[in-house]
Amino acid sequence: MVETGHFALVLAFALSLVQTLVPLYGARTGNQRLMAVGGPVTVTGFALTALSFAALGGAYATSDFSVASVWENSHSLQPLIYKITGTWGNHEGSMLLWVLILTFFGALVAVFGSNLPATLRANVLAVQGAIGATFFLFILATSNPFIRLNPAPIEGRDLNPVLQDLGLAIHPPLLYLGYVGFSICFSFSVAALIEGRIDASWARWVRPWTLVAWMFLTGGIAMGSYWAYYELGWGGFWFWDPVENASFMPWLAGTALLHSAIVMEKRSALKIWTLLLAILTFSLSLLGTFLVRSGVLTSVHAFATDPTRGIFILCILTLFIGGSLALFALRASQLTAGGLFHPISREGALVLNNLFLTTATATVLVGTLYPLAVEALSAGKISVGAPFFNLTFGPLMVPLLVVVPFGPLLAWKRGDLYAVAQRLMAAFAAALLAMLVTGLFVNGASVFAALGVGLAFWLVCGALTDLAVKSGFGNVSPAIMLRRFAGLPRSVFGTTLAHLGLGLTTLGIVGTLCFGTEKILSMHAGESVELSGHTLRFEGLYPAQGPNYSEQRGRFSLIGADGGVSAEITSAKRFFPVRQTTTTESGIETIGFSQLYLSLGDEGTDGSVVVRLWWKPLVTLIWGGGLVMMAGAAMSLLDRRLRVGAPSRRRKRATAMPSAGVP
Amino acid sequence: MLFWVIAAILTLGASLAVLLPLTGGGKGTSTSNDHDLEVYRDQLAELDRDAARGLIQPAEAEEARAEIARRILRLGDVGQANTGQADAPGMRQPSRAARLVATGAVLLVPLLSWGLYSQLGSPDLPSQPLAERLAKNPADSSVDELVARAEAHLAANPSDGRGWDVLAPIYLRLQRFSDAVTAYRNAIRLDGDTAARQAGLGEAIANAAGGIVSADAQSAFEQALKLDPANPKASFYLAMALAQEGRLAESTAAWQKMLDLLPQDSPWRGAVQQALAEAANRSVASGEPAKGPDAAAVDAASSMAPQDRQAMIDTMVAGLDEKLRQNPRDTEGWMRLIRSYVVLGKADQARDALHRGIAVFGADSDEAKKFTAFAASLGLTATE
Repeated sequence: MVETGHFALVLAFALSLVQTLVPLYGARTGNQRLMAVGGPVTVTGFALTALSFAALGGAYATSDFSVASVWENSHSLQPLIYKITGTWGNHEGSMLLWVLILTFFGALVAVFGSNLPATLRANVLAVQGAIGATFFLFILATSNPFIRLNPAPIEGRDLNPVLQDLGLAIHPPLLYLGYVGFSICFSFSVAALIEGRIDASWARWVRPWTLVAWMFLTGGIAMGSYWAYYELGWGGFWFWDPVENASFMPWLAGTALLHSAIVMEKRSALKIWTLLLAILTFSLSLLGTFLVRSGVLTSVHAFATDPTRGIFILCILTLFIGGSLALFALRASQLTAGGLFHPISREGALVLNNLFLTTATATVLVGTLYPLAVEALSAGKISVGAPFFNLTFGPLMVPLLVVVPFGPLLAWKRGDLYAVAQRLMAAFAAALLAMLVTGLFVNGASVFAALGVGLAFWLVCGALTDLAVKSGFGNVSPAIMLRRFAGLPRSVFGTTLAHLGLGLTTLGIVGTLCFGTEKILSMHAGESVELSGHTLRFEGLYPAQGPNYSEQRGRFSLIGADGGVSAEITSAKRFFPVRQTTTTESGIETIGFSQLYLSLGDEGTDGSVVVRLWWKPLVTLIWGGGLVMMAGAAMSLLDRRLRVGAPSRRRKRATAMPSAGVP
Repeated sequence: MLFWVIAAILTLGASLAVLLPLTGGGKGTSTSNDHDLEVYRDQLAELDRDAARGLIQPAEAEEARAEIARRILRLGDVGQANTGQADAPGMRQPSRAARLVATGAVLLVPLLSWGLYSQLGSPDLPSQPLAERLAKNPADSSVDELVARAEAHLAANPSDGRGWDVLAPIYLRLQRFSDAVTAYRNAIRLDGDTAARQAGLGEAIANAAGGIVSADAQSAFEQALKLDPANPKASFYLAMALAQEGRLAESTAAWQKMLDLLPQDSPWRGAVQQALAEAANRSVASGEPAKGPDAAAVDAASSMAPQDRQAMIDTMVAGLDEKLRQNPRDTEGWMRLIRSYVVLGKADQARDALHRGIAVFGADSDEAKKFTAFAASLGLTATE
């Protein structure tokens, strides 16, 4: 079975070459048969990659240590779930997951793309195939997961203990769905540039893919952030770590792309923006892959460092980013300009949004790459940390967040800012009220905190205002309003939810940063500690044995108002003998939207133990907001506009058209 | 065999995916303009819906409608201008170049995949799921597999003293010293003290500490001698402890006494003679003759030199090992590493290096044969 997987991988590589060359040549010469090869080959390539991935997964699940990758990253005592997730908990396997998702998206285009113009479809599949081919080559040449060991060792070296967590089952697949999803937007852009024209249907096709990719990327980042929060035991949710930035940059660019694509779809404007953003977003995804996989950065994500891999990815990076930008430079002038618009209009607002987001992306890019450049040029090592980003990224984001509620309320083409401001009065009043309440009644609130809370409420209420205005609140009777509300396009709900989620995340960040408290102390069993009105009693340390680790569990009781125990919190230090590593399992109790977070430190000689305690108000909203944003994207995907031209209907109309439409 | 059948079927399927669309008739297709028109019509319909809902002012709606209409008109112009050329290529008979591309594509799939796989793959190596390996006939199993099986048995029956007793010396031979310590302790706890167990425990403790006979190890050996005053292993290691403390004269005397008492065919004679030779060397190397107990401290200081030398050699070998992990395709390097381990007396590590070297180049490669022959010339075989 293992060798079948290996063979399927090689075969998928061969097919990806065919997928690149044949449809591309067919599209250039207008040969229908050659173009038609793209579809079946793409689908077959996906099936083979899936077979290959399943074979590797099987080897991991059954602890087949004759496979080198399994031997290095698995252990027979691991619970089955971690044996399976270990498939992508290492460099080779995660690259295979990367191409699996890449071919999966390609296959989706092949299957659902029958209503695309034939040459566009052929070119898109060809570009997708080219990306696939380079990554297949990368895997086979430098990171082959199917290298065998003979004789097979009897026991593996265990998965990195930090990764032995349910987070590994969710975070990488979601993140890759996001990263790689943007490859479709990239392929569409490059295909349009190859053809030298953008069809009106182009934006309609690109937008759902952008939505899907953005939705998964949002989820992946949120999940990664939560995982780091509870697993690393520092209580932080974002560290401005280069690896985090690597995923955040495509998200920022992707958010801009999402908004540009709306304008392009509705108004045929911002074509250049959309193309460029699609190229940039995927380029940043590739850059992220390079940063994480090349070993330039050392972190939990850099499973193994190998210079040849870094150089190979750098070549891929140069090929695709350089190639697509060169093509862009050649062809961009041929693209026809779209509809005109006044600066104060929905289009104008979205251009502003793009400017802010791309500048923010550039800021993060500089902050991420500058230390690497300094390290490469001189021997010195500098670290660009949170202060840099707080000083640059923060001031860029705040004005953007302030103008967000205006965008959806502005009319297309020519908007009336004064009228919009009037409509937002209620939201503004709510934000002001929240600000005052925070400033006056919450202990220890700074001006900054009050402003932050006000901003969050402004976003949330502004998003709801849009919905209220569009359903005619105040102008029509409640019955009509309800009917209108139900009849609103789903994309309107999508916008509202996404902006609402943004507000919730902002509220969570402000709440945690401004009102959070922490304590570090040494505790004996039976001692109690108070933190922000919550009393915790340390019950003592108890040893316990897991399948492949031993742990010291610290048990804590949360004392309720009546003096009784209202909850039990357990934090543990786990020791994994195979890798001789200790991990911290934090103890978390969720109270409303807030969390009480504690983690164990070192044990003292007198039986005491160091305990770190945090009270994190509203912290769950940070990730809850992310989930709401995902829901918004999902809602938008259901919009009927995106289902235009279902194949059956399309064919009937298209054949009827020439006689009726062309005089 | 089954693998080749599956590989052939997969290749056939992949080739058909290329071939079938090429032989199928060209489907009738719509031009890009039809697609655009479809979109514009939908935009008009959407505009009407928005206007009906009151989301857009009538004047603005009218303006937007006019704009879309202008685009449709422009489409008509371009469409007419292009009709001549746009449809022509699709109707054309496939050119020679196209046929060449098609043939090349169909051939590429089987040729490239089989060619590449023959370079990369190990088709003869079956899958080896752990459960299956542990379930097969013990006679076919390797030592590692037998140990794993015994471990599984002991995990289920931790109070089986005999099991621990059997496993402990095997651990010792596999250089899994801390496991050996646990196993000996369990055997002693469950099945009682014997000289052999105590001596084995001492040996395991000493080896886990890198060969230093610590106080723990010494007490185990002393316990063994109490049970069996003639236990050679305990006597040997206790003498070693003396030597490590720098009391060379005492250790030499102890080994000498052992040599007198040991029967002629005892396997320990060789080890004792070697130890005596080394002790003599150390006395010479330190430049001073063996002394009485009063000079023990002086001796301890001077005996640091050979230990440091040993440490340096160990570091160099470890460095070579690490270099080969990063840059494994180095035939000379592997042979040097194997020889180093053999010279240092670390047979298991030498064997491990041999396996790793063979794994790098593949079991059938010339290099692998070279390694095996080279190892055999040093008295090392691939299996024990």
